[in-house]
Amino acid sequence: MTNEILRVENVSKAFAGVKALDQVSLTLQEGEILCLVGENGSGKSTMIKIISGVYHPDQGDIIINGHSYKQLTPIESMREGVQVIYQDFSLFPNLSVAENLVINEQLSSGRRLVNWKETYKTAERGLEEIHVSIPLDAMVSELSTADRQLIAVTKAILAEARIIIMDEPTTALTQKEIQSLFEVINNLKAKGISTIFVSHKLNEVTEIADRTVIFRNGRKVMDQDAKNLDIKTMEFYMTGHELDLDNSQLAQPDQQAAPLLEVEKLGLRGKFKDVSFQLRPGEVLGITGLLGSGRTELALALFGETPADSGTIRVEGREVTIRSIQDAMRNRIGYVPEDRILEGLFLQQTISDNIIVRIIDQMVNKIHLIRAGASKKVSDEWIGRLEVKTPSGELPAKSLSGGNQQRLVLAKWLASDPRILILNSPTVGVDVGSKASIHELIRNLASQGMGILLISDDIPELMQTCNRLILMRRGRTFGVFDREDITEEQLNQEMVADRVFSI
Amino acid sequence: MLKKIVKSSEFVTFTIIVLLSLIIGIINPAFFSLATVFDVLRASIVVSIMAFGLLLVIIAGGIDISFVAFAALASYGTHMFLLSRGYNGGIFLYYAIACVIGLGAGLLSGLIVTRFNLPIFDVSLAMMTMWYGFIRFFIGSTKNFKLPEGAVGYYSRFLVTVRDPFVGEAGLHFSILYVLIIGVLIHCLLKYTTLGRGIFAMGGNREVAIRSGFNIKGTLLVVFGILGVLSAFAGVTHSFLSRHFEPTLFMTQNLDVIAAVILGGASVTGGKGSVLGTFMGVILIQLINRAMVLTGITVEWQQLMIGLVLAFFISIPAIRDLINKRASRAVEVPEEI
Amino acid sequence: MNTTNLKPKVRFEMQTLLLAGILVFLLLFFGLNDQGFLAGRSISSMAIQLPEIGILSLAMMITVMIGGINLSINATANLAAVLSGLFILRFMPESQGPMVIVAMVGISLLIGVITGAINGFLVGYVGVPSILATLATMSIFTGIGVGLTKGQTVTGFPEVVGSVASLSPLGIPMPFLVFVGITVIAYILLGRTTFGFKTRMLGTNPVASKFSGINNKAVIMQIFIFSGVLSSIAGVLIMSRTMSASNAYGTATYVMLTILIGVLAGVVSGKGSVLNIFITVFILQVISTGSHMLLAGVRGSSFFKDFAWGVLLIIIFIINYFTHGRRKE
Repeated sequence: MTNEILRVENVSKAFAGVKALDQVSLTLQEGEILCLVGENGSGKSTMIKIISGVYHPDQGDIIINGHSYKQLTPIESMREGVQVIYQDFSLFPNLSVAENLVINEQLSSGRRLVNWKETYKTAERGLEEIHVSIPLDAMVSELSTADRQLIAVTKAILAEARIIIMDEPTTALTQKEIQSLFEVINNLKAKGISTIFVSHKLNEVTEIADRTVIFRNGRKVMDQDAKNLDIKTMEFYMTGHELDLDNSQLAQPDQQAAPLLEVEKLGLRGKFKDVSFQLRPGEVLGITGLLGSGRTELALALFGETPADSGTIRVEGREVTIRSIQDAMRNRIGYVPEDRILEGLFLQQTISDNIIVRIIDQMVNKIHLIRAGASKKVSDEWIGRLEVKTPSGELPAKSLSGGNQQRLVLAKWLASDPRILILNSPTVGVDVGSKASIHELIRNLASQGMGILLISDDIPELMQTCNRLILMRRGRTFGVFDREDITEEQLNQEMVADRVFSI
Repeated sequence: MLKKIVKSSEFVTFTIIVLLSLIIGIINPAFFSLATVFDVLRASIVVSIMAFGLLLVIIAGGIDISFVAFAALASYGTHMFLLSRGYNGGIFLYYAIACVIGLGAGLLSGLIVTRFNLPIFDVSLAMMTMWYGFIRFFIGSTKNFKLPEGAVGYYSRFLVTVRDPFVGEAGLHFSILYVLIIGVLIHCLLKYTTLGRGIFAMGGNREVAIRSGFNIKGTLLVVFGILGVLSAFAGVTHSFLSRHFEPTLFMTQNLDVIAAVILGGASVTGGKGSVLGTFMGVILIQLINRAMVLTGITVEWQQLMIGLVLAFFISIPAIRDLINKRASRAVEVPEEI
Repeated sequence: MNTTNLKPKVRFEMQTLLLAGILVFLLLFFGLNDQGFLAGRSISSMAIQLPEIGILSLAMMITVMIGGINLSINATANLAAVLSGLFILRFMPESQGPMVIVAMVGISLLIGVITGAINGFLVGYVGVPSILATLATMSIFTGIGVGLTKGQTVTGFPEVVGSVASLSPLGIPMPFLVFVGITVIAYILLGRTTFGFKTRMLGTNPVASKFSGINNKAVIMQIFIFSGVLSSIAGVLIMSRTMSASNAYGTATYVMLTILIGVLAGVVSGKGSVLNIFITVFILQVISTGSHMLLAGVRGSSFFKDFAWGVLLIIIFIINYFTHGRRKE
């Protein structure tokens, strides 16, 4: 187990003068599980792309199986046994499992005809390798995300991978599925196949890694055996500072004030059950839990997208029915979705139009025409207030950077003056600087009397912004904590604890 | 396995064909005869051949409406050319020249689509308008009934004939063999060649197909080439079966062919479809046409009935989705943690 | 960075400028080559034919703007004409009063609303892709008309029916005034009202529009009703001009022509310009009239326009390809 299969030496890569990787070295042993950890923009995806030959390093060497490359091409990389499993798995939804497994081999062999018998045989052999059974003639579109992931892994094995790189592979998996993925990875290890596991979920890293490498701002800041690492140390290296909290930043909501939102025994069949809580004006209430815990479903139910089918919701003391998004908006509930590109923004439309889309109905004159100039006034105001960096509100939204786009989605909802704002993972994919200012903004909004539900699995984020936390597990509220009463480690343990149950 | 067959959209089409046949047969027993079968088949020959070509484009994720113009250009162009040369031979030369013209027209569309990254639908719209204009301005604008002597009896060249108590002599035209041969060839292309799987792959997920190393542009060119050739072939066949050549051949029938392919289970968004299904889609439309006459619904109401059947059929997947969405919520929340 | 960002806005203006440039070029070309071209007679004959196709193009455009298509526009126009025609023949065959016009317009608009609502229901509420839904309803609407008329052309209307097309207040043909009026209304509806705003947003990103509180289903319904109403107005113009109503009028060629105009005018999901449609309709009509005059006497001269339209469309695609860089696949 000491055969070195991959060595990256002093690699640097810059984009438009900005160093994405700065003199980074890395090694990988045969059969080793290496976890690559870092915040967004820390350089880990650049590193993957260099190993897979998508990017060419400005300087440095890549040595795979003893062959040294200055500039690796994707084909050379694959020939050396490097296989990357991207988050979309690169599968064809309309083709069968067997065919998806074999299609790359079919292509690279240059054969013009398809031998179906052979296809099924090869596919079956592939699935046996990782000890899973998925019907070979099922369409990929009929499979769960977890099964697709396993297909992608099998595909990599069939391509005779020696190194499998998984980019955030657990994002869309439930606990149980993550466990079986881990089993598969350990299986690969036994076969001498190495895995580079890219993640920012530290609890998973502690579970699977042989060795952990942490990147920060394009540099490798830590590289050591995973046995000696705890989550707190990793966080320290990831962020570069101890995440200690200044409680004075958090305004305390008035405990006597009447609750803005009261939810009682709310349920949606198959998604969540018996969820009860109260939200006071000025309070930031975190809702956390792992994927599949029902946190997003709860948010969507409160916003009317997939309405709850049992329980009651009271807004400012009045019982309300929320059957549609329009109902939610009538009760001044806003929702900032998780996927800002798909669910939040109109990329080709102007920044200004994106801001006023929620309040367009209020911007008409007596004969129901949109008032000239009204949109500019409103949008300029919000561009200023949220510090969206753009030369003009008339540019399309796609011209903005990730963090600014997230601010734009926030501006859209803030412009409609909500009393209750649901934020679903507001800082996913946002750079560190923007993240801090979005946190600042959340605290400010709360201090002005808004009630905020923050859905997130980013523990430091929750600790920095929330007054109280609700932990959800498998569709139930598992506990409600005051922020003062719980530490990051405890919270992390509580989240991970669920996994112990599920094994 | 059985479950898979029952779930397939080809099975839905097949069931509708059987049910419809039964209903018509019960109302009018004259329906159950070889003569009817021959009649339905004959009416399906030309549409099937075009539909097979179109099927490839639709699986690849595009919609083409210009194939009818390829058919008109190739058949009418060939005819007027050979007529001017005083050709009096058989039908073979017609097919040969027409297929070359069809291939050229198809490749031209394919080249424009791939070279300039344009949507197939937009290009085909332009090409259709252009070709029908071209034919009528540069070649001729009137129907022509003068057939070469070598091909005069073609329309009644039957494989088998039967005596039918209602319609007298009825025959199965031998060009049904073309449908069979072309159908088998296209089926094999789709099922047993890397190229064919590439057509499915690009219709299923174009990005991944490119990433996996499929030659998307080359594949599209082949697809357009085949579309052109098959359309030309259908155009010539139709002209000889109907014993005249016209410059505006099939001009308003492209949507019917698209409808047949869709009825046969192909998906408008690409990645799905089969030769057998397409053939059944064509048969279904012909059957609906005849159902009216045979069940006493007068011919005027035919189109309405076709529309209603189509509306019903296309609503099935959408309604199925709605139901699935509801059902997917019913995953159990465990009672105890 | 900013220069690339400015593109979409510039692009929109580019398309208008390009179209306007082509129109001016064509007018000059035909005007210099044929003395009679710019004379009043050809202009006014254009002004009578062009409104029908222009209004149908708008009906098509708004559905393309929400990422759909409406293949049933021509069927709707014909059905409106046939049903109002049958009504007039049955209940007021001798009347020459304004009630005939009221009945014709009223029934047609009603048909427009109903057919549009059927499309809107299938697309918005059942969730059928619009190309399939309207393919089916095209057959249904045509089928109803064919069934009721036994496939015959309906004729023998009172004279007054023709007045809509033949009147020309201030010397401008009435159909042209109707077209201009509808263009202005559509311009205001799409550009200055929340309906137009929501249409654009829905066309750009239906998921985001749903999460922004836009009632997508309702907007889709409104769009198809609007499309149906515009189609039925075109039906009234056709009926009045030809003094007849037939399910065979225009058929698929008219539908294709409107799509062609839409594509030429640069209409895509989330973006459409009434002005571009207006100019494009003129371009097509000028090519048609101009080439007809230039080629007078040449066999099949009236078909040269089709050829030219197709070629023009391809040329515009290629110009756009080179001026706007490679389009995303």
